[in-house]
Amino acid sequence: MLNNYETLLLMSPELAEENRKEILTNLTGIIERDGGTLTLVDDWGIKTLAYPVRKLTRGHYVRLEYVAPGALVAELERNVRIADGIFKFVTVRLPDAGAAAPATEPVPAPATEPVPATEEA
Amino acid sequence: MAFRKKFTPKRKFCRFCADKNLPLDYKRADILRDYITERGKIIARRITGTCAKHQRSLTTEIKRARQMALLFYTTVHSTDVKKKTV
Repeated sequence: MLNNYETLLLMSPELAEENRKEILTNLTGIIERDGGTLTLVDDWGIKTLAYPVRKLTRGHYVRLEYVAPGALVAELERNVRIADGIFKFVTVRLPDAGAAAPATEPVPAPATEPVPATEEA
Repeated sequence: MAFRKKFTPKRKFCRFCADKNLPLDYKRADILRDYITERGKIIARRITGTCAKHQRSLTTEIKRARQMALLFYTTVHSTDVKKKTV
């Protein structure tokens, strides 16, 4: 049972570029390993926070979008908690449209083409 | 009645019903900010005119945004009040 998920990570602004990359490759590795596929990495960059988190008023946001089985989310979040420099995170299940589309798209795509043809005839 | 004519308020409507493309998303703090007070409280739907269905999801999205420090819980803790760092 695959679903579409997104995880928004709030990382320390003091984290070095290579450390952040290391954390991200680690997390994507976990997604790939447990039968998920990463669809999007959205880097928001450093933004001012609405309130200070661990006494810092800025943070680096990174959003991951992936298709994965539900069990993976728990495993990913466990690793997020272990990783240093991630202050906050939230995982949200995205509407099914995206998840169903990649699986079923190759099937109905040819099917939809003949349908208008028959309607015209 | 003259009284009633004078005070007919503008009809309120649900912005999310009117515009299906308007994203109701915790990531869009700019939109959510229309539905909270200056102090960060969620505005009741009898004031904003949002429909019950969208108000329900609006509430969860605002709470998610607060969790991720995209919106503040109260002004007392907000960055504007606290000293800036980094």
